[in-house]
This record gives sequence, structure tokens and C-alpha cells, in this order.
Amino acid sequence: MERKINFSVYVGAFVLSLLIFVIGIYIGYLIDSSNLQSINQEVSTMSEKMASIQLLLLLEGNSSSCPIYLSELNSLDQEIEKVGYKLSYFEDEKSIYDNDLKRKYFVLEGESYLLSKKVRSVCGDKSLLLVHFYSNKNCSNCKEQGSEILKARDDAVSKGINIRLFSFDGELESPVAEALEAQYGIKHYPSIVVNENTYNGYHNANEVTKIIMASK
Amino acid sequence: MDIVLLLNYAIAFLSLFSVNVFIILYLKHRKDYHKIPEDDGWRPMVSVIMPAHNEGKYISKSIKSLLEMDYPKDKLELIVVDDGSTDDTYPLASSFESSSVHVFHKENKGKGSALNFGLAKAKGEIVATMDADSYLKKDTILKLIPHFNDPEVMAVTPAVKIKPSDSWIKELQRVEYLMILFSRKILNFIDSVPVTPGPFSMFRAVVFDKVGGFSENNLVEDQEIALRIQSHNYKIRSSVTADVYTEPPSNLSELLHQRVRWQRGGFRNFWHYRFMIKPEYGDFGIYFVPLNFISMTAFFLLLGLMLYSFISTPYYVQYIWVDALGMSITLVSLVGVFVVISSTIMLHLAIKSFEGERVKLRYLASFVIFYWYLMIGYNTLFLIKELRKESFSW
Repeated sequence: MERKINFSVYVGAFVLSLLIFVIGIYIGYLIDSSNLQSINQEVSTMSEKMASIQLLLLLEGNSSSCPIYLSELNSLDQEIEKVGYKLSYFEDEKSIYDNDLKRKYFVLEGESYLLSKKVRSVCGDKSLLLVHFYSNKNCSNCKEQGSEILKARDDAVSKGINIRLFSFDGELESPVAEALEAQYGIKHYPSIVVNENTYNGYHNANEVTKIIMASK
Repeated sequence: MDIVLLLNYAIAFLSLFSVNVFIILYLKHRKDYHKIPEDDGWRPMVSVIMPAHNEGKYISKSIKSLLEMDYPKDKLELIVVDDGSTDDTYPLASSFESSSVHVFHKENKGKGSALNFGLAKAKGEIVATMDADSYLKKDTILKLIPHFNDPEVMAVTPAVKIKPSDSWIKELQRVEYLMILFSRKILNFIDSVPVTPGPFSMFRAVVFDKVGGFSENNLVEDQEIALRIQSHNYKIRSSVTADVYTEPPSNLSELLHQRVRWQRGGFRNFWHYRFMIKPEYGDFGIYFVPLNFISMTAFFLLLGLMLYSFISTPYYVQYIWVDALGMSITLVSLVGVFVVISSTIMLHLAIKSFEGERVKLRYLASFVIFYWYLMIGYNTLFLIKELRKESFSW
């Protein structure tokens, strides 16, 4: 028999597949944009909550309202941390970077850090403050350091130690991150600061746990 | 763009493309789907070869179904070749011996050898091969014969089906068989039928003179002979109206054993016939043969990517896994959803295209959900056995 090639079928299937693909890219783009917009909205809402707590602390500034400060701060910290993970998820899993949103987020984190320090002094809060400085550009083990810190944090929480965690990308040209780096003498990544003591270099979960236990 | 994402996109596009080829071919040829060539009354001598190895449980029913055919009795002969059975296959088959039923016993050398033994005895102008656990409907042969009106047609395949049952594993295979049958009919329109199924297939006897007999050291000799016929540029036609029922594996272990055998034999056959990947072999050469290699590569690649994605999931994802599910929607997952939807549509079209075939929704859902996992199982076993170069057994 004489063999034939149905070019029209393959061209049709290719065009149809391309069309679906382009529609898929567009819908995927819309979904990603909508997710980022929703994170942006979350950051704005949290900024407003943060301003309220700051205002409360400025107005009263005494220990009688500590239960309110602590409760508000604890819940806000959890929300901030969760938004941080979402931003990391976009970067790690989808290679989507929104530096403006991240800088806005770092401002919020910086405010939360300063507020936590203030609450520690006013209310005698025993929570440990752990700051992780990392870089997305020139640091091969920064991602792993992030995971090790979380493992150590989870371990400490299970032992009844409360830890407030803050992470800053030091190479994002964020004024907040740069100011904190200058304050704690951060020279390279990863580095961690626990209760204002700086530990340069990579530390595995066990080492971080030892630092935490020594700092409590 | 990172390589993982690029590979995901490539696999998604290829899956989409191959599904779309089938959908377009179906739409293009839907009017010819049920068309049977006109019966001009030609009734050639038909020799049915039935190789059997330990088929005592089913062989009597199979022989009876053949003897009850609506076909001139003097034009039909049955050659049962007992390939060294250790059960009662031989005495059971011998009880049917007559002028048109010949039963032979030989040393166990495999199905291909038994078929060739039968071929040497066959007198018919048309030769059919039939598994000893398959049953025909009365009009099966009558519906297949007219396809040979075209002198270029050297083989015709029937609609191999499974009888409805309450067994989940059998119903899953029943849906799969209907899907395979539907796909084979579509491939028929581009002269790319890749198999002459063991349960029942008919051949013009002369084709064995031209291309040789059955391969004797092949796990899927019914596919090998079809590929050989294709390599000689002869036509193989597929019927969706001539029904043949077969007994499927009744448990997961038997099913896995069968599929690993098919997969190993199939891979080796396509590898042997890879020389057909050229335009001279038309759609078969530029689409179907490459598709087999590409889909197998894509399958293992996808499995690897899924494994990689699972292993490399960052630690913090556990704290936001609900949000991560929503955020993980990407082009790949959207295309994946489309492929699942379009495959389900194809499945619906496939079942709808067979009159009287109804499948319960729970079995359809099981097929869509679990078939992928079944494929992971037998493809992984296939890969392990091939890499370890384990010997064949049938």
C-alpha cells in the first residue's frame, strides 16, 4: 500500500495544543498575579495592625497592657511568618520574584522585630529573637540554613521555648535589612543573630539548638 | 527558566499534542467509525489455530463458541495445539475432535511455536488465531471477512472485549480494553494498527509466506507479527463491530505479571522495528512508532520529576500546605487538568461508541483515578526487570 502522512492532522493538533498552552500560560499568569496581589493586601493589613500596636505602646507604654501587646504581637508574628513562607514558595517553586513586595514585607518584619524588642523590655517577655540573614544570589547553603533553623525552632517550641523568627535577604537593597546588618556586623551569608548575639556562617539544626539553649 | 520547569512544560505539551491528534482523527473519521465493508458473499476456507497451555478451565467454552459460528461448517476448521499442558487441556480438547476439529499435542515451546505448528497444518485461505480463553459471538467471523475484500488487507482485528462483572479489577480492565479498542480503530484510519490481538485475529494465509510465521521467542508475538506486517506496508484493519470476549486477569498480581510481560515484549519489539521511523512508513513511521518511545521516556521523566519535586519540597511548606496547594497551580497543572478532562472525554466517546457497552460511574472514576498508579506499578517493574536483564517467561 502507499503510505500517507496526515500533515493537516498534526498541524491542527499542534495549533490546538499551542492555543491551549497559551491560554494555560495566561490563566497561570492571572492566578499568580492574583496570589501576589492577595499577599500584598495581607502585608498592608498587617502593617495597619502593626501601627495600631505601636500606637498603643506609645500611648500607654506601661506593663499593665502587656497581655494585650503580647497577644496581638504573637498573632501578628504568626501571620507575618506565614506570608514570608508564601513569598519564599513563589521564589523557590515558581521562580517568581517580586522585590518591591519583599522590601515592603521586610519593613513589616523590621517593625515587628523592633516591637518585639520593646515588648521584651517593657513586659519582660522571655521569647528569644532569632534573625536569619540570607542571600538569594550568592549563598549555596542559605536555603538549607533556613530549614535547619526551622527544625531547631520546632524542637525548641516543643520544649516550651518561644522563639520569634525574622528572616532578611541581605542583598535585596532593603534599607531595613541593611540597617540591621550594620547593627549586627553581618559580613557574609548565612548568619544568624540570637538575642542580639551574632553567629556567622552555616549552622546545622543541632548547632542552632545549642545556641538557642545557651541564649534562653 | 529552570530545567525542571522546562521538562514539565515539554511533557505537558507532548501529552496535550498526542491527545489532540486522537481527538482530531476521531472527529475527522467519525462517520466511518462503524462502517463495515459490503459483504459480497465471499466465504473462504477459514483455519482457526488455537494454541493452548493449561487452559482446561476455559477451552471447552472457547471451542463451543467457535463451533456455533454462523459460518458454513465445511469452510471452517479448528486446529487446537496443546503446547505441553500439564492439566486436562488435551483430553478436553480431544473430546471435540471431528473432521473439522483437529487436536495436536506437542512439547512446550511457547505460544509462537504452537502457532507456527498450527500454521503448518492450516489449509484455509484465511487463518485465524484464537486464545483458548476467548469466546466469539455467532457473527464475529462474518463481520470480519468483508474487510478482506481489499486485496491489500492482510490482517483484520476484532473488538476484543471483557464481559461485564462485579469484580473491580476486571471492570477496570474492561474500561481499558474499550479505550484500547477505540484507540486502535482511530489508528486504523492512519494505517497504524500496531497489534493483531491474541484473543482473536484473522490473517490472509499468504501473508505468512510473504513475511514469515510467528516469532517464537517473543513475549508479545501478536504485536510482533503486526509490526512485521506493517514493515512490509500491508494493511491491517480494525473492526469495532465483530465482538470477541476474553478472560482478563482476576487479581492484581496476575494483572501486573501480564502487563510487565506486555511492556517488556512491546518495548523490545518497537526497539527492533525502530528502523521504521522514517517518512516512507507514513503516519506509522513519523507519528506512531516515535510516540511509543517518546511516551515511555516522558512517563519515566515525569515520574522522576514528581519524585524530585516531592524530595526537594522546602521544609517550610508544611506550615502553609493549604495555601501551597492553591499557589502551586501552574501552566503544567492546568494542562494536566486539561489532559485529564480530554482523556475522560475520549473515554466517554470510546464507551459511547460501542453499542450495549455500559460502565458504572464508579468504575469509570476508578479508571481515571487509579490507572495512572497501575501504570507506575507495571512500568517500574518493567524497568527494573529490563535493567536486571531478567529472563523472559510466559
